Amino acid sequence: MIRILIVDDEKPICDLIDLNLSSAGYHCTAVQDGLQAIDLIEKEEFDLVLLDIMLPGADGYDVMEYIRPLGIPVIFITAKHEVKNRVKGLKLGADDYLVKPFDVVELVARVEAVLRRYNKAEQRLTAGDVTVDVDARRVTRAGRPVELTNKEFGLLLLFMKNKNVALFREILYEKVWEGEYLADSRTLDLHVQRLRKKLGWEHNLVAVYKVGYRLEVQE
Amino acid sequence: MKFSIKLVLSTIIVLALALGFSGFYFVNYVFETSLEREVGQALDESSILSFAFETAALNVPLKYSVLPDSVVEEIASKLEMGGRSESRLLRIADEEKNVLYTSDGFTADEGLLPQTDQHTKSYRVILAGESYYVHTCVSINALDRILYLETMKDVTGVFTERAMGFSLYRKVTIIMLLTGMVIMLIIASLLTKPIRLLTKATKRMAAGDYAYRAKQISQDELGQLTRDFNGMANALEDNICKLEEEIEAREEFMGAFAHELKTPLTAIIGYADMLRSHKLDEEKSIMSANYIYTEGKRLEAMSFRLLDIIVAKQEEANLQEVPVRELFVYLQEMFAEKKEMDIRFQYEEALVQVEPNLIKTVLVNLVDNACKASESGETARETDGASTGNVGVVEVTGQVVDDGYRVAVKDYGIGIPEEEQHKIVKAFYMVDKSRARSKNGAGLGLALCAEILKIHHSKLQIESKVGEGSCFSFVLPVENGIYEE
Repeated sequence: MIRILIVDDEKPICDLIDLNLSSAGYHCTAVQDGLQAIDLIEKEEFDLVLLDIMLPGADGYDVMEYIRPLGIPVIFITAKHEVKNRVKGLKLGADDYLVKPFDVVELVARVEAVLRRYNKAEQRLTAGDVTVDVDARRVTRAGRPVELTNKEFGLLLLFMKNKNVALFREILYEKVWEGEYLADSRTLDLHVQRLRKKLGWEHNLVAVYKVGYRLEVQE
Repeated sequence: MKFSIKLVLSTIIVLALALGFSGFYFVNYVFETSLEREVGQALDESSILSFAFETAALNVPLKYSVLPDSVVEEIASKLEMGGRSESRLLRIADEEKNVLYTSDGFTADEGLLPQTDQHTKSYRVILAGESYYVHTCVSINALDRILYLETMKDVTGVFTERAMGFSLYRKVTIIMLLTGMVIMLIIASLLTKPIRLLTKATKRMAAGDYAYRAKQISQDELGQLTRDFNGMANALEDNICKLEEEIEAREEFMGAFAHELKTPLTAIIGYADMLRSHKLDEEKSIMSANYIYTEGKRLEAMSFRLLDIIVAKQEEANLQEVPVRELFVYLQEMFAEKKEMDIRFQYEEALVQVEPNLIKTVLVNLVDNACKASESGETARETDGASTGNVGVVEVTGQVVDDGYRVAVKDYGIGIPEEEQHKIVKAFYMVDKSRARSKNGAGLGLALCAEILKIHHSKLQIESKVGEGSCFSFVLPVENGIYEE
């Protein structure tokens, strides 16, 4: 299990990140104070730290100085969007930078990306009888390989990482097609239909009215 | 053209005119005196010659009653030879002005003869060939005859001297002018240095270097100008500094505002997103909705406070006479429900010059802050195990002082670290952010108080010690001194 430490002085934000990352399958711990964060990092092991900059006790940069020698990847989460702040954070050794307000999907994706860089990400994603080997880009259904196109694979990954989450059409477009969402485009529906057919997910990939699609799996 | 060049040129022109005129006058003066002397000599000489002629005529044998022309010629040729090594140039004419004798080389015309009679002497300066001569004419009275003796004296030397004088003077003038020009260039450059320094300073300042000052190198009018210019630059720089500070403060405010705005926004957007995309259980749904609600409330409180500040900044000071009692009674009513706090009011009666609603806002804010600080102090002390004697007590006092009416709000709460005290009136500043937020504070209360007090020409004074509590006080203007019932 990947363990993530969330350091933010705002309890609502902590809870928000905690909820989302937990549902994406990570184990989260949240603290609201810089000094507490350092104490905790000393005591327990973490795979990733999400760090706010404006913190009581010790600010994010101070905590970063402490974390750096430990080699734990860090993503800064802050409202300061000026380039100099971002550069300062990255120079200190942060792996990524997330500016408030952020999209939850964005947060999950960035966490995923950083973890993958550190080879800490789950290489194998499973949902029902479908298994995805991310690095090998191999998809198997009940042990038998399934051939997917690039877009289908991207779509599948997104669903696997956000199980039981309704994904909006515009987000799917943004992430998979990396372009603007065209309201009357049927491309997405076509790809989803292909996925359903190839993976036998006629009942798992559910269309959510006026929203998009959701992958429903029993955990 | 450069000012220094103008200065040099004008000086040179004046110098050239002065040198030219004085030179001409001087050389001419010398020339004229020499010529006068020569003329005098020539006239003297001709007088002597005429006397010599008369003497010679006396020696003529008495056989002639009238001097014959042949004797005249004889005497004349003797006179011509006599005396010096070189021969004299002379001519003799008779009563009818007919020429009797002319020496060789006597080239002058007979222009002088008609002007001369037996009692006058006449002379003129003539140019014959390349030489100048003084041409004189005198009468001779010998043996009942009136003869006219003309002489020519070479005065070319005087004219040559004059020409040499002029040429020498020209050379001297040119040398003087050149030297003068060099000296004037140096002087002009020295004199115009303050101007150049000023120009440089102006350019530097125009290019944005507002701290640059012109160096003052003289005490004259230009020095005065430099001093005044620097004075102006100082005033400008002060203003620019003030403006920059203001802009910086505004940017800081905007930055803080954006920051404060983003946190609740992130929460609202995030939870709303969760609600719309996840299948949440009831507990989580309520929690999310609750967060959206509270964070929305926070935004609302912040926007109201911001509006208050903006309004307070623009508010005209509409001060009225208000009895202090009214303010304190209002406060007592406001905080009557806060049973857990021990708020003690103590005040002297007076009439103060205030805008009652604004001042009430200040008081409510300060008492509210004091309550929050006390609650935090309470928990802090409970965990520390220290005495909780005064904790929970907020003292609001009002008393008449020399320069007005002083209102103080004192608590025995957590206190404010000294280094943070001057920052707390800044917008969005919170000593203890997480605690302040949990009580729905936006960090704008004291900024608002400061603005309101500014309208009343007053200032918020803060005394505080960590762990012992804080005292916020301000002095209100009073009309007619002490209130009397």
